[in-house]
Amino acid sequence: MNEAAEAAVRPSRWKEIWEIALRNKLTLTGFAIVALVVLVGLLAPVLAPYDPNEMNIPARLQAPGAEHLFGTDEMGRDILSRVMYGARISIAVGVIIVAVSAAIGIVLGSLSGYFGGRADQAVLAVTDMILAFPSMVLALALTAAMGPGLLNTMLAVIIVRIPMYTRLMRGQVLVAKEQQYVRAARTFGEKPFWIVVRHIVPNCLTPLMVQMTLGIGDAILIASSMSFIGLGAQPPTPEWGAMISTARIYAIDQWWYAAFPGLSILITIMGFNLIGDGIRDILDPRSRK
Amino acid sequence: MSALLEIDNVTKTFRTKGFFGKTKEVHALNGVSLSIEKGESIGIVGESGCGKSTLANLIVRLDEPTSGRILLDGTDISHMKEDELRPLRRRIQIVFQDPYSSLSPRMTIGQIVTEPMRVLGGHSEAETEERAKELLHMVGLQPSAMRRYPHEFSGGQRQRISIARALMTEPEILILDEPTSALDVSVQAQVLNILTDLRAKLHLTYLFISHNLAVVKYISDKTVVMRKGAVVETGPSEEILTHPSEAYTRELIEAVPMIGKPFRMPDDIAESV
Amino acid sequence: MEPILQIRHLSLSLPVKKGMVSILHDVSLDVAPGQILGLVGESGSGKSMTAFAVTRLLPGGGHEKLGGSIRFCGEELTEKSEKDMQAIRGRDISMIFQEPMTCLNPVFTIGRQMTDVIMTHQKISRAEAMKKAEDMLASVHIRQAADVLRCYPYELSGGMRQRVMIGIALSCRPKLLIADEPTTALDVTVQAKILYLIREACRRLGTAVIFISHDLGVISQICDTVAVMYSGHIVEAGKAADVFETPEHPYTRALMAAVPKFTVSAAAGDRLFAIPGIVPDPSEAMAGCRFAPRCPFATEICRTAPPSDTLTGAGHLVYCHNWQSAAPAIGVLRGKEAEA
Repeated sequence: MNEAAEAAVRPSRWKEIWEIALRNKLTLTGFAIVALVVLVGLLAPVLAPYDPNEMNIPARLQAPGAEHLFGTDEMGRDILSRVMYGARISIAVGVIIVAVSAAIGIVLGSLSGYFGGRADQAVLAVTDMILAFPSMVLALALTAAMGPGLLNTMLAVIIVRIPMYTRLMRGQVLVAKEQQYVRAARTFGEKPFWIVVRHIVPNCLTPLMVQMTLGIGDAILIASSMSFIGLGAQPPTPEWGAMISTARIYAIDQWWYAAFPGLSILITIMGFNLIGDGIRDILDPRSRK
Repeated sequence: MSALLEIDNVTKTFRTKGFFGKTKEVHALNGVSLSIEKGESIGIVGESGCGKSTLANLIVRLDEPTSGRILLDGTDISHMKEDELRPLRRRIQIVFQDPYSSLSPRMTIGQIVTEPMRVLGGHSEAETEERAKELLHMVGLQPSAMRRYPHEFSGGQRQRISIARALMTEPEILILDEPTSALDVSVQAQVLNILTDLRAKLHLTYLFISHNLAVVKYISDKTVVMRKGAVVETGPSEEILTHPSEAYTRELIEAVPMIGKPFRMPDDIAESV
Repeated sequence: MEPILQIRHLSLSLPVKKGMVSILHDVSLDVAPGQILGLVGESGSGKSMTAFAVTRLLPGGGHEKLGGSIRFCGEELTEKSEKDMQAIRGRDISMIFQEPMTCLNPVFTIGRQMTDVIMTHQKISRAEAMKKAEDMLASVHIRQAADVLRCYPYELSGGMRQRVMIGIALSCRPKLLIADEPTTALDVTVQAKILYLIREACRRLGTAVIFISHDLGVISQICDTVAVMYSGHIVEAGKAADVFETPEHPYTRALMAAVPKFTVSAAAGDRLFAIPGIVPDPSEAMAGCRFAPRCPFATEICRTAPPSDTLTGAGHLVYCHNWQSAAPAIGVLRGKEAEA
């Protein structure tokens, strides 16, 4: 086969990934859910029938109906609109927490795993310390110390999450650095920085990507929980956790108030978890054929 | 001194810390001396644990010797700092035993093979790619291999890719650390033939390491027999085979499985820890 | 002697993403007690799959299709249930593999693991089992067997681990031992000892052995009969002496020529015979002989019609159209070593 013909036959990497995703129905469902949530979040200003913060006291606590599909809350705000805007917040919170904590974790883990020595010991000591606490409790304590608010909550969750990525990355690096291809790179004089960047990190990312996708769902849950107990997003921010928090007292008679934000959390987390499980197979080049 | 590579009384001791801080010393190499002339093909033969791979690692400076000197063209490289060493590294390259872990699974063959030259610098991209294609051709692979990933290749093909990569920097010395031990006999023959051709074409100096004396005999002019970190016997390969002076060498000769050779009970069948 | 294992017209198909792919075609083999059958071929030739078919340790998740007959001790194995097969494996048929480390649990001592095996088959105390384990290790020529029993797997050399595995495999006096490349990862000196050990045990205990290897040199050292496999077919079979004296199939001759000998050297301009190309993928359909694309003697008929089994001498079978006309050309293959 000549080269051009072969290039035409060989699909691009993204196309391959997409094809594998198509084969796995659950992963596909996960992608669909997340895509929907992201889309709704992005297009909230267009899609939302009402201003999420617009109060309408006479229409308070209305059951779901033609006017308000998801009903209204105690201030007469449209719950559907608030859930849509909430998607924005939750996705942003999840992605930012995971991106920042994973980035820091990857750097720390690579350095400590590849170079070892004192720095490694220090990193290990600190991560051990953080991991010794239940993450929820620690995040709670940190937020309480820094003062309530969404930004502080995110910061706290990031701090709590870093050790997990650091540890995972470090373990991966320890294995990868003994591989012959890393030793080969050393024999032709590759600088340590490039060995880590070009050879070690790409070969360690699969489990991290899985962990990160699952981590987004997790981060959303923790952030919502913090808001629920009043430490995270503050009313009237249309954050799902905060909404459920105020909905507590209406839970029995006005079920819709807590149910829709709750369902949103559930579905979003499920979406990310489904992707996380599927991404493992997709990223492994050996499963591509 | 005209030796291209001179190994002078090299020792290597590994210290491992035991459970209760007790350090255990393992003498991997005990005063090994060896001299390799330009264009020679030298075979090192011995059982696992005889120090042959440790020696290879010292020569390509993946490790430093505990004592002794390693001279490349008269320059001692045994304790050189990485920055000083870098320009010299291109002159000695290595091919490892394991065809599976020696190629990064996430890089294309093109990326893998061109990498040594990219690290070296000073070559245009087109030049680098041209040379990669030429070398892949020399080891019997199509240029289309450049865009594929290692997992799409068999063990023998991967080993040929490793050889092509090692030759990118135009090395003078190629260390071959059991390059065919993990391969089928039929594939081994292929790789050995390719190595023979390459040596003639590119005027390479080989240091071929193996536990199989027949393989070493085929590829090398001179054979070094190693045991327990020391050189037991050195000489022209033909000489070593026909007139081994050491009992251990005879044992190695006896052990090679060969068609038509009557199977003989090894001298000492038992083994202890 | 009456064969203990008789495989007749065995075929095997395994499920893949799209349908089934045929792995073994019409494989027939005999193994007699106290005899060693060498099964030789390159990776992908189907030699390990044949062994897995006998023990029914197949990677098809129960969806594999097994045809033909496997008679073992007078019983038909292809009709046995998975439960019956479990009882047969380990008791009547044992296996050893290339990498013994993966078969030993790293967190238990050798003694613990061996006694566990013994105690699942015999109702005896741990102390008695320990005594048996020690005898077992002594029978594979391990000195200070008691010390070895106290070791963890990582403390032993590759050769020693393989000895332990052989000891465990032979502990229940199996009627058949399947050795799948047991010496490929070992040094030649250790290999020689292990080969001797397997042969000795086979003769002493009357165990039938199927010895799988890609190295004809190794096979020639210890086997009584040989079957050469290529792409799921047996292409040549017979007594070891016959096959190695007068190899008839071009593939056998090519494999023999690939083994490095002391008499060849690159410096003298000798070349090893390397078979061009690779073993075809099982899913690749071919009208004729599956070796034809790599065969130096292939003619038109080889590419169009599959060959049939031909008996060339007493029990010497060859699966080739041109074995007679190719025979004079043996010299070319052998000569190629010195030609270039």
